[in-house]
Amino acid sequence: MLRTAPSGISISQPSARTNRLIRAIVRARTRHPLLFFIGRRLVALVLLGVGVTAIAFVLTHLVPGDPAEANLGQRAGSDPVAVQIFRERYGLDKPLPQQYVIYLGKLVQGDMGESEQSRRPVRADLAEYIPATAELALTSIVLSGVLGVGLGVLAALQQNKLTDQVLRVVSLGGMSMPSFWLALVSLYVFFYQLSWVPGSGRLDPVVSRPPAVTGMFTIDALLSGRIDTLANALQHLILPACVLAAFNMGLFTRFTRSAVLEVLGNDYVRTARAKGLPEHAVILGHVLRAASPPVVTVIGLAFGNVMTGTVLVENIFSWPGIGQYSFRSATTLDLPAIVGVMLFVALVYILANMVVDVLYGVIDPRVRLT
Amino acid sequence: MRLRLPFMRSIPTAWLQPLTIVGLTLAGVWLVLAVLAPWVAPYDPLAQDAPLYLPPSAAHPFGTDDIGRDVLSRVIWGARVSIPLAFLLVSLAFLIGGTLGALAAYLGGWVDELVMRAADLVFAIPTILLAMAVVAALGPGLVHAVMAVIVVSWPGHARVVRSLVRTTMQSDYVAVARLLGASAVRALIVDVLPNVAGPVIVLAALDLGTAILLLSGLSFLGLGAKPPAAEWGSMVSTGAQHFESWWIGVFPGLAIVSVVLAFNFLGDSLRDIFDPQSVTERARGA
Repeated sequence: MLRTAPSGISISQPSARTNRLIRAIVRARTRHPLLFFIGRRLVALVLLGVGVTAIAFVLTHLVPGDPAEANLGQRAGSDPVAVQIFRERYGLDKPLPQQYVIYLGKLVQGDMGESEQSRRPVRADLAEYIPATAELALTSIVLSGVLGVGLGVLAALQQNKLTDQVLRVVSLGGMSMPSFWLALVSLYVFFYQLSWVPGSGRLDPVVSRPPAVTGMFTIDALLSGRIDTLANALQHLILPACVLAAFNMGLFTRFTRSAVLEVLGNDYVRTARAKGLPEHAVILGHVLRAASPPVVTVIGLAFGNVMTGTVLVENIFSWPGIGQYSFRSATTLDLPAIVGVMLFVALVYILANMVVDVLYGVIDPRVRLT
Repeated sequence: MRLRLPFMRSIPTAWLQPLTIVGLTLAGVWLVLAVLAPWVAPYDPLAQDAPLYLPPSAAHPFGTDDIGRDVLSRVIWGARVSIPLAFLLVSLAFLIGGTLGALAAYLGGWVDELVMRAADLVFAIPTILLAMAVVAALGPGLVHAVMAVIVVSWPGHARVVRSLVRTTMQSDYVAVARLLGASAVRALIVDVLPNVAGPVIVLAALDLGTAILLLSGLSFLGLGAKPPAAEWGSMVSTGAQHFESWWIGVFPGLAIVSVVLAFNFLGDSLRDIFDPQSVTERARGA
């Protein structure tokens, strides 16, 4: 809402116009802080998208590898006509800046191009693979969040005692284990030796998929009331989720411990104890709340970083998700697919950051969104 | 829990934490093994003259692999690949990131803006995706994998150094040095750098572990070391194809765990010594 310009100042004057704009922005900021905040983040997302696509373009083009050859194979790759057709089909015959502009133009309309490897629209590929990864990643983050925060609080309360030292070894151990190795060892023990869990994939081959609602099999099975399908999906999910959770659990434990330690020494904690509050009320009501901002930040960041783990873990557990897809795309220099995955992850990263910032305000009302 | 023996009285207590000692010992053992590999390893890591798929025994404590190579010898030789590369990689990442971070803090303005936005950009792209794309573009190989890991790990160093230099530059002693006539470069090197060294060392130690994990992960995916080379990640990958012979993959993996654990123990203790809380938070831009 713009107020009319004060009389005496010509509206056509550029400085007045700029003034008005600035005032409008300031007003929007004070009246609708949340909208302004979301707007800023959307702008950041667009800029990030431009950056990510530019990086992917440069990377995949400044390279000795030729996508035409990589996708057509030796025979067809040595046939100039086939190569020419391939190039024209994917716009590879045009100069790079022009390719980039064409891509951005299509992207704005929601068209992410066609994967050179699956011969399907990237959007369809992403829609198929994202739910599988989301199911795995969310389970692992919830698992590591609950365990990590719990153990971190425990370690802080037992500072420098045996429990603390043991937890220190356990958490640093979790952060030191290569996920691909942990995945193999756990598969060997729990599948090959003990047969406690099924080997790979999201469901046993004989079990049919639940009707698709979210694409996450556990939730879909629950929604359609198919308990045996749910049980099977959970059996498949548990091991990769635990493997993926190991690193984050260690990280969250370390962060929670140091955040809680910093808060424990404060006067208001002593006051809470002095006025006779039971210990659990002191911890839950006073300590945890004050200690949560850094913990929330790390958990939020985990959403952006969980991809690194999923690429390796999905490969080992044959989990048909975005990790395997990005591995296949990267190794075949499938540009539209690579950019698609990068954009998706950048989106998750920004959204996670936004949620973290909003949570900051909820945890600590003094924090203003900017 | 502190060990306190008479001859240790002159060593600061923080260095005598059990975990610091374990970390130092483990790291030391691996360094010695890496240097002495040709003399310590019982067999030639590339020789294929033992029986195939031999389970661990007295002659071959870690067994033999799918083409009759001694796993123990390959694990020992593997230290010569991963550890020096990790050091090289972290030094280069620090050199690049640190220089950019210091420049950004010192010059401010658009340089600062440019460097930090570039760092944000790299942060928003998942490490392994960027690394995979770099390796796929350049072709597989250890050198390319190292370059890829540098590309993804410089921003952490840039952020830490920038935030440290900014704080230190505003301190009174730097102002005094400048007033006494020290040039900006001299102030930066003589007064600022020594004061930011501690947190930077902590980050480097923690980064060594991350670098080894990422590098071996790339090799596991077939994007790093090429087959005959004794590299831990690709050895685990061989183990993955021969599931019933667990020793082929388990022992190289344990090597990775122990080295990374050593660096993480050290980094964690160093953090207590130099800077109680803020290194990791700075790296994450919190």
